Amino acid sequence: MWKIAWRNLWRNRTRTVIIASAIAFSYGLMLISMGVSADSYARMEEKAREATGGSVLVHGAGWWEGQGSDVVVADPEPVMTRAEAMPEVEAVMPRVIINGLLSSARGNEAVRLSGVVLEREQALADLREDLVAGEFFSEELDSPVVISEGLAQRLSVEVGDKVVLTASRVDGEVTRALFYVSGLLTSGMAGEADLQAYAPLKLAQEAVGMGDALTQVGVLVSAVEAQNEVIAALQKVEGAQALEVLSWQQAVPEMSGLLEFDAAVNGIYFVVIFLIVLFAIANTFLMAVMERVREYGLLSALGVGPGQVGRLVIWEAFYLALVGMLAGLVLGLTGHLTIASVGIDMAAMGAGDMEMAGIAMNDLVVRSHLEPGRWLLASAMVLAVVMISAVYPAVRAMRLAPSQAMRFYE
Amino acid sequence: MSDSAAGEDAPLIEVRDLERIYHQGEVEVRALRGINLKVERGEFTALAGPSGSGKTTLLNMIGCLDDPSSGEVRIEGERVSGMSRTQAAEYRLGHIGFVFQAYNLIPVLTAWENAEFVLLMQGVSREERHAILDPLFERVGLAEYKDRKPHEMSGGQQQRVAVVRALGSRPRIVLADEPTANLDSATSASLLDLMLELNRERGVTFVFSTHDEMVIERARRVIRLDSGRVVADERDEGA
Repeated sequence: MWKIAWRNLWRNRTRTVIIASAIAFSYGLMLISMGVSADSYARMEEKAREATGGSVLVHGAGWWEGQGSDVVVADPEPVMTRAEAMPEVEAVMPRVIINGLLSSARGNEAVRLSGVVLEREQALADLREDLVAGEFFSEELDSPVVISEGLAQRLSVEVGDKVVLTASRVDGEVTRALFYVSGLLTSGMAGEADLQAYAPLKLAQEAVGMGDALTQVGVLVSAVEAQNEVIAALQKVEGAQALEVLSWQQAVPEMSGLLEFDAAVNGIYFVVIFLIVLFAIANTFLMAVMERVREYGLLSALGVGPGQVGRLVIWEAFYLALVGMLAGLVLGLTGHLTIASVGIDMAAMGAGDMEMAGIAMNDLVVRSHLEPGRWLLASAMVLAVVMISAVYPAVRAMRLAPSQAMRFYE
Repeated sequence: MSDSAAGEDAPLIEVRDLERIYHQGEVEVRALRGINLKVERGEFTALAGPSGSGKTTLLNMIGCLDDPSSGEVRIEGERVSGMSRTQAAEYRLGHIGFVFQAYNLIPVLTAWENAEFVLLMQGVSREERHAILDPLFERVGLAEYKDRKPHEMSGGQQQRVAVVRALGSRPRIVLADEPTANLDSATSASLLDLMLELNRERGVTFVFSTHDEMVIERARRVIRLDSGRVVADERDEGA
């Protein structure tokens, strides 16, 4: 029977080639799309993790709403010690975040100053990569600060110039602190990233009278799956009741929501493609069955049971799926490997100033990443769609009464 | 006769009070009206009659291709009417060979593959298939045509392959529905002579439906049908 099915497939070559091409293109493009989507989501998540400060973020309770200097992690030691002891944790980054005003002789600008330990931040992002002038925290300067190019332009300052930070102290009093511009960062885009400035952690703590307290402890976790475990562990440390321990997805739900929405839209797109392919194949098979009514009658007369007649149609669908999917695999893998090695520069595609949920997506080069599990799942789905499309024609073939089928053309 | 009495003593084919009514919309068509007949082993029988007389319908009932509205068909004493479609297919596979008027062969298979199809379905080994079919191909003069597809053969050659397939499956009965209807006279005569010889040589029972006088002349028994009834049952005693 499989021999008849295979040869039946090639009786109308043009029709088979058209339908196999539809399967090949659907499957191939789906593989490419899956690879690109998976990689772009990973990169967007990476950007979001960088922007929020890590996979897991520890703050004083309620900090995320107002982001005031008065909400702190008063005793960061237990949190940092516990986090550093966990094998899933790649880096622990203590930070002070100050929302204030930066002033020069030419004017005042809003600023978000992060006090950081540069070496610890390397695990999350190499901040020095974005330097366009000067250096990070020059030892020649007493109070170095690194600001964005845009901020520097608006304040009309250059490397080495003085700027003054005005911000609220922990005790609520307004304070002023003098800094020297040590370096300039690329702005990349207009928005929150343009307001960003960096200073050594100790200086930032001193500027707002924080002592050893921190605004944030960023924790970088090796795998998404381990995030909840780390959160649970940090929620149990001494003094945790005064803390807020969040994943980056909880901290910026808009971003994870956007990614989920995009994935859902992609899912709908695939379903629509699958439905089109399903109906196209079902129609083709139904036509083929109706063209071969007499043959099915003959097979039945010769002793082929209804189930075997149905299987003949299903076999033909299987071969069609096999041919189409093999061609699609070649197409998909070629596309995947090309994009994985060359990459798609989103800036060149007109998405240079893209921002999602307030997070800059500049310098985004998307490649392709195919996970074997998802690839197998997608392949199984395509195969299932083709096989399902043959079910109704197979049932029609099974239901043909042999005596009627043999009279069909008389 | 009960099923338990089935066997060598029972007629090969026994048709009792067979009726077949078709419904075409509001119209009721009585294709068979109480047919009774028996066919013994080794007979070469023609079902003759004009178009619409019920020949093909009767043949379909005997071949388990259709179910009667009432009455029954027994083969070797076993009731074969009223079987499920799967049971009927299994029965045909093991007991009945068919030669149809046209569209006899599966177009995508070669002559050899068509002929061995039923044997494959029966689970016969490759060696045995060759042992059965090679002499038959020689016998019908198609030994050189085994690898040809149906569209590469003439109508007569295709019918011969159908005969090889029908006989190769080692059936109790070969049912042939207007086997010569699409053939010219010479080819028809040649095919009939071949079937007659095979009937004599192998003792296989042939039942034909036909309105071709040439077939009727060669048959050793002619059952004439008209309007769904048997109107004559003639035997050639000298044959």
